[in-house]
Amino acid sequence: MAAPNSAERKACWDARDQLWKCLDDSDDKAASCQNFQREFEAKCPAQWVKYFTKRRDFLKYKEKLQTEGFTPAEGPRQPS
Amino acid sequence: MLGLRCIVGDLCGGGRLLRRLPHVQQKWRCESVQLYGLPPAPRLPRQTQVCFLSQGQNPTGSRAKMKLRTRLLVTLLFGGGLLAVWWFVHREKQQKLHRQRIEQLQKVAVGQGDFSLLDHTGRRRTKRDFLGSWVLLYFGFTHCPDICPDELDKLSAVVLALDQDASLPPVQPLFITVDPERDNVAALARYVKDFHPRLIGLTGTPEEVKHAGRDYRVYANPGPKDEDGDYIVDHTILIYLVSPDGLFLDYYNRMKTQEQITESIRNHMKTYVRL
Repeated sequence: MAAPNSAERKACWDARDQLWKCLDDSDDKAASCQNFQREFEAKCPAQWVKYFTKRRDFLKYKEKLQTEGFTPAEGPRQPS
Repeated sequence: MLGLRCIVGDLCGGGRLLRRLPHVQQKWRCESVQLYGLPPAPRLPRQTQVCFLSQGQNPTGSRAKMKLRTRLLVTLLFGGGLLAVWWFVHREKQQKLHRQRIEQLQKVAVGQGDFSLLDHTGRRRTKRDFLGSWVLLYFGFTHCPDICPDELDKLSAVVLALDQDASLPPVQPLFITVDPERDNVAALARYVKDFHPRLIGLTGTPEEVKHAGRDYRVYANPGPKDEDGDYIVDHTILIYLVSPDGLFLDYYNRMKTQEQITESIRNHMKTYVRL
Protein backbone atom coordinates (compact mmCIF):
# COMPACT_ATOMS: atom_id res chain seq x y z
CA MET A 1 0.00 0.00 0.00
CA ALA A 2 1.52 3.31 -1.11
CA ALA A 3 1.88 6.14 1.35
CA PRO A 4 -0.48 9.11 0.90
CA ASN A 5 0.96 11.85 -1.29
CA SER A 6 1.07 15.52 -0.46
CA ALA A 7 -2.51 16.24 -1.64
CA GLU A 8 -3.92 13.20 0.18
CA ARG A 9 -2.10 14.17 3.37
CA LYS A 10 -3.51 17.65 3.18
CA ALA A 11 -7.05 16.35 2.60
CA CYS A 12 -6.68 14.05 5.61
CA TRP A 13 -5.34 16.81 7.86
CA ASP A 14 -8.14 19.19 6.81
CA ALA A 15 -10.78 16.53 7.59
CA ARG A 16 -9.08 15.90 10.94
CA ASP A 17 -9.02 19.61 11.81
CA GLN A 18 -12.71 19.99 10.95
CA LEU A 19 -13.65 17.01 13.11
CA TRP A 20 -11.54 18.26 16.02
CA LYS A 21 -13.08 21.72 15.74
CA CYS A 22 -16.56 20.19 15.78
CA LEU A 23 -15.69 18.06 18.82
CA ASP A 24 -14.23 21.11 20.60
CA ASP A 25 -17.35 23.17 19.86
CA SER A 26 -19.82 20.45 20.90
CA ASP A 27 -18.10 19.47 24.15
CA ASP A 28 -16.80 16.20 22.72
CA LYS A 29 -20.25 14.80 21.86
CA ALA A 30 -19.31 12.41 19.06
CA ALA A 31 -22.98 12.07 18.02
CA SER A 32 -23.18 15.64 16.76
CA CYS A 33 -20.01 15.26 14.63
CA GLN A 34 -20.79 12.02 12.84
CA ASN A 35 -20.58 13.60 9.38
CA PHE A 36 -17.11 14.93 10.13
CA GLN A 37 -16.11 11.59 11.61
CA ARG A 38 -17.17 9.79 8.41
CA GLU A 39 -15.32 12.34 6.28
CA PHE A 40 -12.21 11.94 8.46
CA GLU A 41 -12.27 8.16 8.18
CA ALA A 42 -12.80 8.37 4.41
CA LYS A 43 -9.91 10.73 3.81
CA CYS A 44 -7.29 9.21 6.15
CA PRO A 45 -5.75 5.72 6.22
CA ALA A 46 -7.17 3.59 9.05
CA GLN A 47 -3.85 3.59 10.87
CA TRP A 48 -3.76 7.40 10.82
CA VAL A 49 -7.33 7.58 12.14
CA LYS A 50 -6.23 5.52 15.16
CA TYR A 51 -3.09 7.61 15.54
CA PHE A 52 -4.86 10.98 15.36
CA THR A 53 -7.60 9.85 17.77
CA LYS A 54 -4.94 8.90 20.33
CA ARG A 55 -3.07 12.10 19.54
CA ARG A 56 -6.14 14.23 20.32
CA ASP A 57 -6.56 12.49 23.68
CA PHE A 58 -2.92 13.17 24.42
CA LEU A 59 -3.14 16.82 23.39
CA LYS A 60 -6.25 17.32 25.53
CA TYR A 61 -4.57 15.66 28.49
CA LYS A 62 -1.50 17.83 27.98
CA GLU A 63 -3.63 20.96 27.86
CA LYS A 64 -5.41 19.92 31.05
CA LEU A 65 -2.09 19.40 32.79
CA GLN A 66 -0.86 22.79 31.65
CA THR A 67 -3.97 24.70 32.70
CA GLU A 68 -5.09 22.81 35.81
CA GLY A 69 -1.84 21.28 36.94
CA PHE A 70 -1.15 17.72 37.96
CA THR A 71 -2.98 16.16 40.89
CA PRO A 72 -1.50 12.81 41.84
CA ALA A 73 -4.01 10.02 42.35
CA GLU A 74 -4.40 8.91 45.93
CA GLY A 75 -2.24 5.87 46.29
CA PRO A 76 -2.39 3.24 49.00
CA ARG A 77 -1.61 4.75 52.36
CA GLN A 78 1.78 4.02 53.79
CA PRO A 79 1.52 1.91 56.92
CA SER A 80 2.58 4.19 59.74
CA MET B 1 49.49 65.41 39.57
CA LEU B 2 51.43 68.27 38.12
CA GLY B 3 54.57 66.78 39.60
CA LEU B 4 53.93 63.49 37.91
CA ARG B 5 53.37 65.25 34.63
CA CYS B 6 56.65 67.02 34.96
CA ILE B 7 58.53 63.86 35.78
CA VAL B 8 56.99 61.94 32.91
CA GLY B 9 57.51 64.83 30.56
CA ASP B 10 61.17 65.10 31.45
CA LEU B 11 61.68 61.40 31.23
CA CYS B 12 59.96 61.05 27.93
CA GLY B 13 61.39 63.71 25.79
CA GLY B 14 62.35 66.66 27.85
CA GLY B 15 65.83 65.38 28.62
CA ARG B 16 66.97 65.23 25.06
CA LEU B 17 65.20 68.41 24.19
CA LEU B 18 66.82 70.24 27.08
CA ARG B 19 70.26 69.10 26.14
CA ARG B 20 69.79 70.64 22.72
CA LEU B 21 69.05 74.06 24.22
CA PRO B 22 72.16 75.34 26.06
CA HIS B 23 70.51 77.91 28.36
CA VAL B 24 67.94 75.45 29.55
CA GLN B 25 70.60 72.85 30.10
CA GLN B 26 72.37 75.22 32.41
CA LYS B 27 69.20 75.96 34.28
CA TRP B 28 68.44 72.28 34.57
CA ARG B 29 71.80 71.62 36.11
CA CYS B 30 71.52 74.50 38.44
CA GLU B 31 68.12 73.41 39.63
CA SER B 32 69.35 69.88 40.09
CA VAL B 33 72.02 71.16 42.37
CA GLN B 34 69.42 73.10 44.24
CA LEU B 35 67.35 69.99 44.60
CA TYR B 36 70.17 67.90 45.97
CA GLY B 37 70.77 70.49 48.66
CA LEU B 38 67.22 70.24 49.93
CA PRO B 39 66.11 68.15 52.91
CA PRO B 40 64.29 64.97 51.77
CA ALA B 41 60.80 65.72 53.12
CA PRO B 42 59.62 68.68 51.02
CA ARG B 43 61.32 67.46 47.88
CA LEU B 44 58.27 66.68 45.87
CA PRO B 45 56.43 69.99 46.14
CA ARG B 46 59.68 71.81 45.61
CA GLN B 47 60.50 69.84 42.50
CA THR B 48 57.03 70.50 41.24
CA GLN B 49 57.57 74.17 41.58
CA VAL B 50 60.93 74.00 39.89
CA CYS B 51 59.54 72.18 36.94
CA PHE B 52 56.69 74.55 36.68
CA LEU B 53 59.08 77.47 36.75
CA SER B 54 61.39 76.05 34.16
CA GLN B 55 58.43 75.58 31.84
CA GLY B 56 57.14 79.01 32.51
CA GLN B 57 60.49 80.60 31.84
CA ASN B 58 60.58 79.09 28.36
CA PRO B 59 57.64 80.69 26.63
CA THR B 60 58.36 79.32 23.14
CA GLY B 61 55.20 77.19 22.60
CA SER B 62 56.96 74.82 20.19
CA ARG B 63 58.61 72.91 22.99
CA ALA B 64 55.36 72.22 24.79
CA LYS B 65 53.81 71.15 21.51
CA MET B 66 56.64 68.78 20.71
CA LYS B 67 56.45 67.34 24.14
CA LEU B 68 52.76 66.76 23.71
CA ARG B 69 53.37 65.12 20.36
CA THR B 70 56.08 62.83 21.75
CA ARG B 71 53.92 61.91 24.68
CA LEU B 72 51.01 61.15 22.40
CA LEU B 73 53.27 59.08 20.17
CA VAL B 74 54.63 57.10 23.08
CA THR B 75 51.16 56.58 24.51
CA LEU B 76 49.88 55.43 21.14
CA LEU B 77 52.81 53.09 20.59
CA PHE B 78 52.50 51.67 24.07
CA GLY B 79 48.71 51.34 23.89
CA GLY B 80 48.88 49.91 20.41
CA GLY B 81 51.46 47.40 21.56
CA LEU B 82 49.25 46.36 24.44
CA LEU B 83 46.26 46.00 22.12
CA ALA B 84 48.29 43.95 19.66
CA VAL B 85 49.43 41.63 22.41
CA TRP B 86 45.88 41.29 23.71
CA TRP B 87 44.57 40.59 20.22
CA PHE B 88 47.25 37.98 19.60
CA VAL B 89 46.61 36.21 22.90
CA HIS B 90 42.85 36.36 22.30
CA ARG B 91 43.20 34.85 18.80
CA GLU B 92 45.50 32.11 20.04
CA LYS B 93 42.99 31.23 22.72
CA GLN B 94 40.08 31.16 20.24
CA GLN B 95 42.01 28.88 17.92
CA LYS B 96 42.90 26.58 20.77
CA LEU B 97 39.25 26.40 21.85
CA HIS B 98 38.24 25.66 18.28
CA ARG B 99 40.81 22.86 17.96
CA GLN B 100 39.60 21.40 21.24
CA ARG B 101 36.00 21.57 19.97
CA ILE B 102 36.90 19.66 16.81
CA GLU B 103 38.80 17.05 18.81
CA GLN B 104 35.75 16.65 21.03
CA LEU B 105 33.46 16.34 18.00
CA GLN B 106 35.69 13.63 16.56
CA LYS B 107 35.24 11.65 19.75
CA VAL B 108 31.47 12.21 20.01
CA ALA B 109 29.57 8.96 19.68
CA VAL B 110 27.10 10.51 17.21
CA GLY B 111 27.60 10.75 13.47
CA GLN B 112 30.57 8.41 13.28
CA GLY B 113 30.65 5.57 10.79
CA ASP B 114 30.03 5.63 7.07
CA PHE B 115 26.54 4.72 5.92
CA SER B 116 26.04 3.14 2.51
CA LEU B 117 22.49 3.36 1.13
CA LEU B 118 20.52 3.64 -2.12
CA ASP B 119 19.16 7.04 -3.05
CA HIS B 120 15.68 7.61 -4.52
CA THR B 121 17.07 7.19 -8.06
CA GLY B 122 18.58 3.81 -7.17
CA ARG B 123 22.20 5.02 -6.97
CA ARG B 124 24.40 3.85 -4.12
CA ARG B 125 25.48 6.72 -1.86
CA THR B 126 27.81 6.67 1.10
CA LYS B 127 28.44 9.30 3.72
CA ARG B 128 31.79 9.97 2.06
CA ASP B 129 29.94 11.21 -1.07
CA PHE B 130 28.63 14.14 0.97
CA LEU B 131 31.98 15.23 2.39
CA GLY B 132 32.62 18.84 1.47
CA SER B 133 29.03 19.96 1.74
CA TRP B 134 26.86 20.90 4.67
CA VAL B 135 24.22 18.26 5.34
CA LEU B 136 20.87 18.41 7.11
CA LEU B 137 19.78 14.91 7.99
CA TYR B 138 16.37 13.62 9.04
CA PHE B 139 15.19 10.10 9.76
CA GLY B 140 11.54 9.18 9.12
CA PHE B 141 9.18 7.08 7.01
CA THR B 142 6.81 7.83 4.16
CA HIS B 143 3.67 6.51 5.92
CA CYS B 144 4.26 8.96 8.75
CA PRO B 145 1.00 10.73 9.66
CA ASP B 146 2.09 14.21 10.68
CA ILE B 147 5.48 14.68 12.34
CA CYS B 148 7.74 13.63 9.44
CA PRO B 149 5.98 15.75 6.80
CA ASP B 150 5.97 18.69 9.22
CA GLU B 151 9.65 18.33 9.96
CA LEU B 152 10.55 17.81 6.31
CA ASP B 153 8.55 20.92 5.38
CA LYS B 154 10.46 22.84 8.04
CA LEU B 155 13.77 21.41 6.84
CA SER B 156 12.94 22.36 3.24
CA ALA B 157 12.03 25.90 4.32
CA VAL B 158 15.35 26.20 6.20
CA VAL B 159 17.31 25.06 3.13
CA LEU B 160 15.36 27.52 0.94
CA ALA B 161 16.06 30.37 3.38
CA LEU B 162 19.78 29.55 3.39
CA ASP B 163 19.73 29.30 -0.44
CA GLN B 164 18.58 32.93 -0.54
CA ASP B 165 21.87 34.05 1.01
CA ALA B 166 24.46 33.84 -1.75
CA SER B 167 27.33 34.24 0.71
CA LEU B 168 26.53 30.89 2.34
CA PRO B 169 27.46 27.48 0.94
CA PRO B 170 24.55 25.27 -0.21
CA VAL B 171 23.08 22.73 2.23
CA GLN B 172 22.30 19.17 1.15
CA PRO B 173 19.07 17.88 2.74
CA LEU B 174 18.93 14.10 3.31
CA PHE B 175 16.06 11.87 4.36
CA ILE B 176 16.91 8.38 5.62
CA THR B 177 14.04 5.98 6.08
CA VAL B 178 13.53 4.00 9.27
CA ASP B 179 11.03 1.75 7.48
CA PRO B 180 12.98 -0.16 4.80
CA GLU B 181 10.21 -2.79 4.60
CA ARG B 182 7.84 -0.37 2.83
CA ASP B 183 10.11 2.52 1.76
CA ASN B 184 11.84 1.21 -1.34
CA VAL B 185 13.48 3.38 -4.00
CA ALA B 186 10.18 4.02 -5.81
CA ALA B 187 8.31 4.96 -2.62
CA LEU B 188 11.07 7.42 -1.70
CA ALA B 189 11.10 8.90 -5.21
CA ARG B 190 7.37 9.63 -4.88
CA TYR B 191 7.81 11.02 -1.38
CA VAL B 192 10.77 13.41 -1.84
CA LYS B 193 8.98 15.17 -4.72
CA ASP B 194 6.76 16.90 -2.14
CA PHE B 195 9.69 18.66 -0.47
CA HIS B 196 12.83 20.62 -1.35
CA PRO B 197 14.02 19.85 -4.91
CA ARG B 198 17.48 18.90 -3.64
CA LEU B 199 16.15 16.50 -0.98
CA ILE B 200 17.69 13.04 -1.37
CA GLY B 201 15.81 10.04 0.00
CA LEU B 202 17.94 7.11 1.20
CA THR B 203 16.98 3.50 1.81
CA GLY B 204 18.57 0.07 1.78
CA THR B 205 18.33 -3.37 3.29
CA PRO B 206 17.01 -3.50 6.87
CA GLU B 207 20.61 -4.10 7.98
CA GLU B 208 22.01 -1.08 6.11
CA VAL B 209 19.24 1.19 7.36
CA LYS B 210 19.68 -0.02 10.92
CA HIS B 211 23.40 0.62 10.66
CA ALA B 212 22.88 4.20 9.42
CA GLY B 213 20.42 4.83 12.24
CA ARG B 214 22.81 3.44 14.82
CA ASP B 215 25.49 5.92 13.70
CA TYR B 216 23.19 8.75 14.78
CA ARG B 217 21.77 7.00 17.83
CA VAL B 218 18.36 6.90 16.18
CA TYR B 219 15.66 4.89 17.89
CA ALA B 220 13.04 3.31 15.62
CA ASN B 221 10.37 0.80 16.54
CA PRO B 222 7.55 -0.35 14.22
CA GLY B 223 4.18 -0.51 15.94
CA PRO B 224 1.63 -3.35 15.60
CA LYS B 225 0.20 -3.99 12.13
CA ASP B 226 -3.51 -3.49 11.55
CA GLU B 227 -5.74 -5.55 9.23
CA ASP B 228 -4.42 -3.62 6.16
CA GLY B 229 -0.85 -4.46 7.17
CA ASP B 230 -0.38 -0.76 7.90
CA TYR B 231 1.69 0.35 10.86
CA ILE B 232 3.29 3.42 12.38
CA VAL B 233 6.98 3.57 13.24
CA ASP B 234 7.86 5.31 16.46
CA HIS B 235 11.24 6.97 15.97
CA THR B 236 13.68 9.72 16.89
CA ILE B 237 12.57 12.98 15.29
CA LEU B 238 15.72 15.09 15.38
CA ILE B 239 17.24 17.06 12.52
CA TYR B 240 21.03 16.66 12.45
CA LEU B 241 23.51 19.20 11.12
CA VAL B 242 26.66 17.62 9.65
CA SER B 243 29.71 19.74 8.76
CA PRO B 244 31.61 19.46 5.45
CA ASP B 245 34.12 17.27 7.35
CA GLY B 246 31.35 14.77 8.01
CA LEU B 247 31.27 15.62 11.73
CA PHE B 248 28.04 15.88 13.67
CA LEU B 249 27.78 19.57 14.67
CA ASP B 250 24.32 20.22 16.07
CA TYR B 251 20.77 18.88 16.25
CA TYR B 252 17.33 20.47 16.28
CA ASN B 253 14.26 19.08 17.95
CA ARG B 254 10.61 19.65 17.11
CA MET B 255 10.37 22.71 19.35
CA LYS B 256 12.89 24.63 17.22
CA THR B 257 11.30 26.95 14.67
CA GLN B 258 12.40 27.36 11.08
CA GLU B 259 13.94 30.75 11.96
CA GLN B 260 15.89 29.39 14.92
CA ILE B 261 17.34 26.54 12.87
CA THR B 262 18.26 28.86 9.98
CA GLU B 263 19.99 31.26 12.35
CA SER B 264 21.87 28.46 14.10
CA ILE B 265 23.15 26.99 10.82
CA ARG B 266 24.14 30.44 9.58
CA ASN B 267 26.23 30.90 12.73
CA HIS B 268 27.81 27.47 12.38
CA MET B 269 28.77 28.32 8.80
CA LYS B 270 30.28 31.65 9.80
CA THR B 271 32.42 30.23 12.59
CA TYR B 272 33.39 27.15 10.63
CA VAL B 273 37.09 26.54 10.02
CA ARG B 274 38.11 23.74 7.69
CA LEU B 275 40.07 20.92 9.30
